Amino acid sequence: MKNTLYRALAIVTLSISLFSCSNDDDNNVSGNGKLILEFDNAYGANDLILNTQGNVTSNNEVLKISLVKYIISNVVLTKADGSTFTYPKSKSYFIADESSAAGREFELTDVPAGDYVKVKFGIGVDKAQWELGAAGQDDFLAQADAAGMMWTWAAGYKFLAFEGTFTSPTVTTATPFMIHTGKTGTDYNYTEVTVDMPTKALVRTTITPEVHLITDLSKIIDGKNKIKLSDNNTNGMGAMIMGGTNLPLITENISAMFRVDHVHND
Amino acid sequence: MKKLVVICTFLVGFSAFSFTEKDSISAFTFHRLEMMEDFDCDACGCSASGGSMGFSSMLNNNFVGVRYFKQSYTSRDGIFANSPWIDENFNTIQAWARIPVTEKIQISALVPYHFHERQLTAGTQSIEGLGDITIMGLYTIYETQKDSTVFSHKLNIGGGVKLPTGKFKETNNLGTINQSFQLGTGSWDFPLVTEYVIKHNNLGLNTTLNYIIKTENSKNYQYGDQFNYAGTFFYLFDINNFQIVPQAGLAGEVYQTNKQHNLDLPNTAGDILFGKFGVEAGKDRFSIGINAMLPIQQNLSNGNMEANYRWSINLNYTL
Repeated sequence: MKNTLYRALAIVTLSISLFSCSNDDDNNVSGNGKLILEFDNAYGANDLILNTQGNVTSNNEVLKISLVKYIISNVVLTKADGSTFTYPKSKSYFIADESSAAGREFELTDVPAGDYVKVKFGIGVDKAQWELGAAGQDDFLAQADAAGMMWTWAAGYKFLAFEGTFTSPTVTTATPFMIHTGKTGTDYNYTEVTVDMPTKALVRTTITPEVHLITDLSKIIDGKNKIKLSDNNTNGMGAMIMGGTNLPLITENISAMFRVDHVHND
Repeated sequence: MKKLVVICTFLVGFSAFSFTEKDSISAFTFHRLEMMEDFDCDACGCSASGGSMGFSSMLNNNFVGVRYFKQSYTSRDGIFANSPWIDENFNTIQAWARIPVTEKIQISALVPYHFHERQLTAGTQSIEGLGDITIMGLYTIYETQKDSTVFSHKLNIGGGVKLPTGKFKETNNLGTINQSFQLGTGSWDFPLVTEYVIKHNNLGLNTTLNYIIKTENSKNYQYGDQFNYAGTFFYLFDINNFQIVPQAGLAGEVYQTNKQHNLDLPNTAGDILFGKFGVEAGKDRFSIGINAMLPIQQNLSNGNMEANYRWSINLNYTL
């Protein structure tokens, strides 16, 4: 009796081991899915904390950041085989905003199923779009206006708004700074970046990959080009950089501040 | 540390005075101790603890046992240098039984019940429930028969299956945190074990090598294969049918990268080396043991996770 029991147990164990290796992979790559671009603002290696966190630049200026907004546009996804999917322009303008949850994640819909390895996007609004005139902007104009990402229509969009207070060896009391990029008389200052994904984003009808990008804000004034806020602090009224020769330099810096940290294929 | 010593002393004293039943032949054998203190766990968070635990015994008698073990980890809740470190506590109560089929073949079953908690920045998260049940068969390849030899040897090999009875919840792995805060791997996993014991008089060395093959679960998540190794010295003191077996050794674990939809997940591989020590005490049909493991060297989840300690207490009864 006992022996029969043991044998039964052994057989059950064996059969479980033999028949449990089935693997039902869903290799059905067809239809459309979604993809989420998450923009996570950082300062250097640290997560960005608004208002309280003192961020030190290589010029020994300490920045307390109170506002970060930027326009993400013209998203193009590249598949592993090199083919690309251009997200429809009419839907491809987003405002990243550190202060709101809605400003951190952008969901792309009707994305063809596939294995994506790269994402390209613009920072700002491209010139062709702006040249369509106010009527050609659809509701993005109103959106940008509400977010404070417009000057006058003629002056155009603000591509990036980066504000807060700073101190430095020469400026010892907290002094406001504001950096707004956009077109100037001489430069348009729209820039595009392409970033690789460390893990493929598997867009499927059943999988919505989340591409987690890190935006390293330290690069804005402390990237390839170093800009001292203290040098722009005219009459001690605050460092206001919204035009002039610094904008193309900042634009160049901005184009290097994005990277994909990881991809969740959930 | 001091506390542990106190607890050990207390337990030894407790067992000495508790089991007064006289028995001409003690059912307690120190061989059995070795399989008990080997409480290595799966994939850092013990999502399916026990896959490598103590199936490679030399024991030939029937027994049932229960063990409690605790693992303490600290892990980074996020991807940044200033992301907070959070505490994770993994508690497991395990029932197990071992039944000989023939003189050389034994079947073992292990049923864990987990209650885990972690202090996320968003609040404490707890999970509780049945873990992955393991069933294994073991075969004794070689055993020294003569008592007179200077050294006696024993070699066991075995294999089995770990069933996906513990719940695997995808949402527990969202974000960038410990990927093993689970009750089970959700997959059919297959442990392979070997154990070699060499003894000289009352001194022995137990060496175990285990490999756990893990498969993809229904959520397309696959934990990385795991390799465990351990070497433990033990010494038997036998005083009037009351045995005390102090033991000390090293135990290591190596984890392969986890996969999701067959793609490698970054920062999920790792390795850790523990120093371990403990004491077992036995009289008549009962034995009681306590063990602790402290990390010597570790690199888990690319440094985003640190094991602090593990400890366990067990009580066995020979049928």
